Amino acid sequence: MRSLIGNWHPQTLRLIALGLALLAVILFFSTQIDGYLSPRMFVRITTSAAIVLPIAVGQAIVIITRNIDLSIGSIVGVVAYMTGEVLVAWPGLNPALVVVVAMGMGAVLGAINGVLVAWGRVPSIIVTLGTLALFRTFLVEHSGAKTITADALPKWLVDLPQKTAFLIGPLDIRVTVVLAVAACIVVGLALTRLRLARRFFAVGSNPDAAVMAGINAPRVVFLAFVLSGALAGLAGFIFLAKFGNITVVAGMGLELKSVAAVVVGGVSILGGSGSMLGVLIGTVLVDTIDNSLTRWALVSEFWRDALLGILIMAAVTVDTLAARSLSRLKAKGEGK
Amino acid sequence: MAEPVLEPRPVLELRAVSKSFAATAALKDMSLSILPGEIHAIVGENGAGKSTLIKIMTGVYQPDAGEILVGGVPTTLRSTQDAQSCGIAAIYQEPMVFPDLDVAENVFISNRNQSAVMRWGELYREADKIVGQLGVTLDVRRAASGLTLAEQQTVEIARALSLNVKVLIMDEPTASLSAHEVARLLAIARTLKAQGVAVIYISHRLDEIFKVADRVTVIRDGQHISTKLLAEVTEQSMVRDMVGRAIDTFATKTHANPHGEVLLSVKSLGRLGVFHGITFDLSKGEVLCFAGLVGARRTDVGLALFGIAPASEGSVTIDGTTVQIGNARQAMDLGIAYVSEDRRKLGLAMTMPIFANISLASLKKLLGLFGIIDRKAEAAMAETYHKQLSIRSPDVSTEVSKLSGGNQQKVMLAKWLETRPRILIFDEPTRGIDVGAKAEVHNIIRALAKEGVAVLVISSDLPEVMALADRVLVMREGRQAGLLRIEDATQEKVIGLAAGTGERTAA
Repeated sequence: MRSLIGNWHPQTLRLIALGLALLAVILFFSTQIDGYLSPRMFVRITTSAAIVLPIAVGQAIVIITRNIDLSIGSIVGVVAYMTGEVLVAWPGLNPALVVVVAMGMGAVLGAINGVLVAWGRVPSIIVTLGTLALFRTFLVEHSGAKTITADALPKWLVDLPQKTAFLIGPLDIRVTVVLAVAACIVVGLALTRLRLARRFFAVGSNPDAAVMAGINAPRVVFLAFVLSGALAGLAGFIFLAKFGNITVVAGMGLELKSVAAVVVGGVSILGGSGSMLGVLIGTVLVDTIDNSLTRWALVSEFWRDALLGILIMAAVTVDTLAARSLSRLKAKGEGK
Repeated sequence: MAEPVLEPRPVLELRAVSKSFAATAALKDMSLSILPGEIHAIVGENGAGKSTLIKIMTGVYQPDAGEILVGGVPTTLRSTQDAQSCGIAAIYQEPMVFPDLDVAENVFISNRNQSAVMRWGELYREADKIVGQLGVTLDVRRAASGLTLAEQQTVEIARALSLNVKVLIMDEPTASLSAHEVARLLAIARTLKAQGVAVIYISHRLDEIFKVADRVTVIRDGQHISTKLLAEVTEQSMVRDMVGRAIDTFATKTHANPHGEVLLSVKSLGRLGVFHGITFDLSKGEVLCFAGLVGARRTDVGLALFGIAPASEGSVTIDGTTVQIGNARQAMDLGIAYVSEDRRKLGLAMTMPIFANISLASLKKLLGLFGIIDRKAEAAMAETYHKQLSIRSPDVSTEVSKLSGGNQQKVMLAKWLETRPRILIFDEPTRGIDVGAKAEVHNIIRALAKEGVAVLVISSDLPEVMALADRVLVMREGRQAGLLRIEDATQEKVIGLAAGTGERTAA
């Protein structure tokens, strides 16, 4: 795991396959939808992926430690709403500070998950399934079913999604996209470069060996959930900027999308391996399909979730089959 | 005896260390001193207390009494980290590596003196150097997932070296290695010794100890028996020290019981890569014991006969008919029952009541109209065994998890007896149960044999083997090392065959 690309051999092949799959999907839809290969569609897909990417990155960290975070959709909702409230109350707040506040709120919610999983020894799927419902209910209660509306928000925030960071030829790269990709790169570099971050992989790869090697496994798991929460907070901020109007259902279903992006991106659902480049491509692939389906006349858009489900299962099945045939090949090689 | 005048100061010393679990004393007054740059072998029978000793030295367990001195200083080892920072590390039969990380990272994972930012280039160079010191070629950039067991051990040894280890404990390191890999491991042990590291070498294989050790400590029943220079010991003296208990509570059988005609005949039975060449006959009313060290693959033979992990070569004949046993159902239909070693995992439904466990393997008999279980008959069946085997519990509805080990064993036995087996395989029938219950189980086994059941007992407990067997089949590393009539068998002979020093007696 010497670079962002991850392990050279099988992982690289996987990334190449993923890139090809993305290309195939784009080519396919370009034959199906008029004006598909346009700068407009590019902006549409990238800005939508900008919300999913931070969550997928957080989800990936958690899954690498052999856990899962199902509560992030609710965290996005809570953070988007409450950040909106903060801005309504103090419209003059420094934008950078707003991002910090959003990520901080997410981190606190993530810490709740983290404590219960790491020290409470409750399986993460149960804890985060519980907080998925709890955080959402908190949002409903807290908001009194009221909505944050765009006209109550400061102008800089409402304009943010339309802001262009830079242009690549005709392609318009928006500020929110830069923000999300930056988060992905920072985490990606940290995971390969920081000794502490390597522990995420160690704990997920062999929890017993991690303990024997003197790693404080609960603390590592806790940290993973805090990071996941903070990144969901970042996504909550982007969500608020993009939609302006925040209701109690904000961010619903993002857990499914994030898990899809992560496993399609080649992070092992059994923990221990994965790269952020994979998560990036996985997210773009999932979001491209998702956004294209809404425009595709042949298929009802209600199929979007079903397709995500199929993608998750297909990705994991392919991985399992590949791993099995690899180990069989290896066994053959040793038998000789 | 004159002590050498300039004996170097021990790197690690245990003084009168004791450790008990519940009422069982695992270590009693254990004293041991390890010198720098020596290879110190520790030998003992199964259950002599070796694992407890290792866990005390690596900080997994804390002693109830006694002292541990590291470099002459009394030290408390609270955890593996503590032990590591004192320079004590261990490698085990099953190595602990991180399959998804590469070799270099595996080597340095415990090392705390590394910079916060990974310097991969440096990491690979350093790892290469350490692996090189061991005289092994291993690509430090590859993932650990594809490594062989021997290579994984090398990674673990390298990890210990990266921590500047002073004492490296090797616990049965060669149990799953090929001859070539064993030679390499022994070479590594010598390299470490040359670097001044003390190696504690724990192995059942006496031949390896004669190749590599400087001193040999024998422990038995949790007590220190002897520590001698290698030159002062012989195979015979070592075995005598290992076995020489006051021949125990169980009377040794002196001659075989009379038994009937041959029921089961096994010829050259084998399973690829696990065991092979097992040949024996078993008659009605006979008790055949499988003796050998842990890891000799005795259980695998039992599982093959019961169809759980079917044999891939050889033949099995029952009543003169050659049979194929492909799964447990077929085995049961042939009248074979298997009372497994691992009561929790394979034998009993712990949360279910006694009666449900007893009836589990013979529910067919209890089915009434529309396939509904006849509860009355089920209870009656359970009551019979409850009395016959004197299972101690208020009633047959008691949850099995609430019973003592011995009584659980009886429940499991009842389950299989109800299937009316002609061939009964016991795997470690008395492991972890107290002496009283042990005697009861032995009596039940003898009674069954008397009724004409052919009994096969797999046991690591030598006195048990000597007390039960009409004949003893000794296995070593997946092969049949010998088949002795009880009249010819002694504990020394059996352990000699099992540990691989007794080729002469085998012939």
